[in-house]
Amino acid sequence: MRASTNRGFTLVETLIALVLSSLVIILVSTTFLVQNQYQASQVIRAGVHDNARSATDLVVSELRSSMRDGVILAGNRTLTVRSPVALATVCGRSGFLGTVVDLHIDGGLAGIETGEIAGAALHDSSDGDWWYERVDWSFIDGGSVGSAARCANNGADTVDATAHFHAARRFFLVFDFTSTPDVGDLVMLFRETRFTIRPSDLDTSSLALFREPYGKPAVEFASGIDTTAHFQYRLGGTSYQDTVVTASVGAIDAVRIVLNARRRSESGTGQDVTFGWATNRHLRNAP
Amino acid sequence: MSSVDRDARIRGSDGGFVLALVVLMLFAISMAGGAGYLVVSAEKRMARFSTQGEEAMALARGGLHRFASEQLGVVVDSVVYAFGGGEARVSARRVAAVDAGTDMYFIRSEGIVVDPLVAGSPARRVVGAYAYHRKRPVPLHAAVVLNVEDFEVYSSTDVTGDDIGGSECPGGTAPSITGAIAREDVQASGSLGGSPPSELWPGGRAQFLSEIGLRWDVLSDPSFPVDFEDVPPDWSSLPSNSFPVLRVNGNLNATPPWSGRGVLIVTGQFDAVPPFIWSGIILAGWVDDRIMGAVDGMLVGGFSTNEPYDAVQTRGPIRYHSCNVSRANASLAYLELIENTLFELD
Repeated sequence: MRASTNRGFTLVETLIALVLSSLVIILVSTTFLVQNQYQASQVIRAGVHDNARSATDLVVSELRSSMRDGVILAGNRTLTVRSPVALATVCGRSGFLGTVVDLHIDGGLAGIETGEIAGAALHDSSDGDWWYERVDWSFIDGGSVGSAARCANNGADTVDATAHFHAARRFFLVFDFTSTPDVGDLVMLFRETRFTIRPSDLDTSSLALFREPYGKPAVEFASGIDTTAHFQYRLGGTSYQDTVVTASVGAIDAVRIVLNARRRSESGTGQDVTFGWATNRHLRNAP
Repeated sequence: MSSVDRDARIRGSDGGFVLALVVLMLFAISMAGGAGYLVVSAEKRMARFSTQGEEAMALARGGLHRFASEQLGVVVDSVVYAFGGGEARVSARRVAAVDAGTDMYFIRSEGIVVDPLVAGSPARRVVGAYAYHRKRPVPLHAAVVLNVEDFEVYSSTDVTGDDIGGSECPGGTAPSITGAIAREDVQASGSLGGSPPSELWPGGRAQFLSEIGLRWDVLSDPSFPVDFEDVPPDWSSLPSNSFPVLRVNGNLNATPPWSGRGVLIVTGQFDAVPPFIWSGIILAGWVDDRIMGAVDGMLVGGFSTNEPYDAVQTRGPIRYHSCNVSRANASLAYLELIENTLFELD
């Protein structure tokens, strides 16, 4: 028995063991490599999904705030929309002929990005429409001195909120001489953003979604967009169309963003990773 | 080699080979599972976070609308609504007095959805909107405003639009209003006073609703919150300066236990039996053809499409009392969101 248990492996046994071991190693390593590739592709796929979702979310966040007549250009790959940076109410008037108006802005100017302001709009309380005019904030900024006190005289609750009151001026130059807003009127300070789908600056083989605030350069914030990406518009009813003539943009009541995302295969020989993503957004643009 | 040793070696070899295969399969399965989990969890995380943002927005909007619809009388500074998936924190600030009867408020509502399992939680969305606070929702047209063809003041009865509040009211005697308004004719066997004593609104229910301007559909809705509903309050337990809002869903033949003050909303037919007396405003779907009680304030009837009587006669006094009406009106003050002003903050 001892002699039998202590004897070495025969050559045949060793060869068989080596072959079997090699097979097992090949099997394991192949499995590992395949799974590794699969995991990598899934990470890419998740990134593509995230890219498409975040891009549409950004567009939607501006679309859902836009008010009546907020859409001003509606093309297949271009969408220009106005949305409020802040809504304010007139709570006081001062200056010559009352041309300086005091505004209540929730959170005050500290809460908003004044550089994004593309203009001001007046609210028509009779029908809910807005009258938009482009103007730089610096042209109408009237400072904050005395605003809270003047608004308090008109019944505003300014306790712990004096920074929420600010003056604006020269509205009569922006709109017309008869349209300086009065106490209780609403004013919108709006941004004007153009969204464009065009060839990427970062990856020339794909498209990208650009956000271009009024008067500022466009910023590419979502690359890897497939060539099928586009905007569509609904003018009442149920069907969508790719473009809307300027005269009809006021009737747009919904926007669809078709933002298919694509990323090339890492190996160059594999299939591209794509993700078809579309989202619809109802607007308050139409009456 | 004995047969026992051979069997042992064979068993040992079989066992080792099976173990290797099991390890290999477990490894492959775990790798596939891990990759699958990575994708699914990433997708789920994104979808859940996105959904929570939508939920927070819905809570913010819902909280704002609920706040605006629930404010009856004085507007509260802030309130927190707990909903199923989170909460809405709503605050209101008066930003201007538009006119004597209307203030403007800014309402801010923050929707919060908390889920510790989601990165980035809690999800927050903030919306704001402007609203008018209608402090005197019932316009001071007349002591009696009825959407009926003919109205008659019975003999020895007094209907007047002259203020009987006088020195009781902080502001003294208020300007007189019209005594009575009906569609085609106002007659008085008794006393009819006011400036002018009577007025005609020939436009029927459409003119009546337009001139009064009240949202009867809201006030008469059983879900619209009021102070007391269908039963008279224990007046002795209420502060003497309170003017509550009472609503009766259906008809009311008011007897003395109903005598009191404030705003009495009767969605059906209003009738009264002496010595019932009401200090404030009565709003009724329609009124009986013969009213017997007394009103120190205002009576407005005819909101309902049901118009069973062409002529109404009052045998009880209805006299304009400016401070009763003013206090009752204040109890009925409400918030009206301004169209197209709701927007997203932050």
